[in-house]
Amino acid sequence: MIEVSHLLKSYRDLKAVSDVTFKVEKGEILGFLGPNGAGKTTTMRIITGALPPDSGTVKVAGFDVFENPMEVKRRIGYLPETPPLYVDMTVRAYLRFVAEIKGVPRKQRNGEVDRVAQKTNSDKFIERVIGNLSKGQRQRVGLAQALLGDPEVLILDEPTVGLDPAQIIEVRELIKSLAGRHTIVLSTHILPEVVTTCQRVLIISQGKVVADDTLQGLQRAQAGAVTADGHAGPAPSLEEIFLKLTSA
Amino acid sequence: MNNAIAIAKKELNIYFATPIAYVMFTLFVVIGSYFFLRLLGAYEQASLAYMRFNAPEMMNRLNFQDAIFRNLFGNLGVILIFIVPFLTMRLLAEEKRQKTIELLYTTPVTPGQIVWGKYLASLAILVSALALTLTYPILVQLVAKDANGVEWRSVMLGYLGLFLMGAAYMALGLFISSLTESQVVAALITFVILLMTWIIGWSATEAEGWVRDFVTYLASVSHLDSFSRGTIDVKDIVYFLSLITLGLFATHRAVEAHRWS
Repeated sequence: MIEVSHLLKSYRDLKAVSDVTFKVEKGEILGFLGPNGAGKTTTMRIITGALPPDSGTVKVAGFDVFENPMEVKRRIGYLPETPPLYVDMTVRAYLRFVAEIKGVPRKQRNGEVDRVAQKTNSDKFIERVIGNLSKGQRQRVGLAQALLGDPEVLILDEPTVGLDPAQIIEVRELIKSLAGRHTIVLSTHILPEVVTTCQRVLIISQGKVVADDTLQGLQRAQAGAVTADGHAGPAPSLEEIFLKLTSA
Repeated sequence: MNNAIAIAKKELNIYFATPIAYVMFTLFVVIGSYFFLRLLGAYEQASLAYMRFNAPEMMNRLNFQDAIFRNLFGNLGVILIFIVPFLTMRLLAEEKRQKTIELLYTTPVTPGQIVWGKYLASLAILVSALALTLTYPILVQLVAKDANGVEWRSVMLGYLGLFLMGAAYMALGLFISSLTESQVVAALITFVILLMTWIIGWSATEAEGWVRDFVTYLASVSHLDSFSRGTIDVKDIVYFLSLITLGLFATHRAVEAHRWS
């Protein structure tokens, strides 16, 4: 569904992403991990077509992001790090606007707005002005916006930031329920979230892919090495693997 | 086109959800009414004076268009210089600061549709502001004892001129707004540029020959005057249309370029 190959992007002399290659199969949830500044957001912005790379290609559903940007954008729902919200609009007016530019037909627009608002539990404050919402509520409106138009691919940049524990569980359940029908790339700093929601884990550090495997596969590959360092237990936790791979 | 209209509707929604449009409309009408009342008073005094001295040929020459509307449109044009920067400052600067432009970049919307949508919204605001001032000719028509009343054709041409000039100002303001993330900076720079297009005309009186013609051509307010007199000059239409084209084209390039940064 998503094919990223040999992606390269630098800001002036800072290499944000260098030679990142990975694939995400249809219906898969990919946990995208890495320390701050590792290049997660840059990679996600390139996949969505918000940012052109210096070199390398990205294909979504067979369409190249740079040759067919419109086809790709029609298939992607994107929640950036800061939810792109117009603070002066009400939640409903905002969602209607996003539905409109995403090409949801006029007759289905109201139904679609209600559907995503319900799914993300934003329906209780749908008539309120976005500027007056709490951080958690804004985050949910951002998520609702990404789900509009039922896109095949969802790119979620830290979707649970700012949510309280109960809401985190809700969003986690929501993301799980989207699996299968949607292909999801999920970046996060909360490692247990990856363990509970994602089938595959991709760890990048300093712009390079350092691990790309299932959680079990990672544990198996790292088990020997960790025990040799004197750590107990044959199956290291994701935390241990993460720290080991990114501390280089 | 649908996307451009969706963006225009969104912009109008924000214009009227925030106080900015109301404040600017109020300013426009209050200052406009002040000038209108003064011109009306001057007209009244002139006609009284002509009657007292029994000068029918002077009376015949006195008409609403020359005595009131030509000056009024000139004044309204100058007020536009002061209100347009505040109407365009938010358009792209705020999208960049709030990172909402990211939404437009990742949905199936082209940079051209973004620019058109924003521009259409600003034109709708301009038309609304100008429509509010239609009260002046309507009032004159209602109270006019003169059988000829208001020359509507000339008045409408005056409005066409005001619209074209406002549209050119809006296009320049939109472009400046695309260059910065700060609304204040956008408003200030737009204001200075618009002000320059007005005061550069003053230096024309000191200049001679081709310099004089050139400076007069550069000054935006001088292009409004032929419309206010009730005539159409192709030269003026070309001037305003080229400013609009330049502004929109430059905005389009700036929106494209911002994506690469």
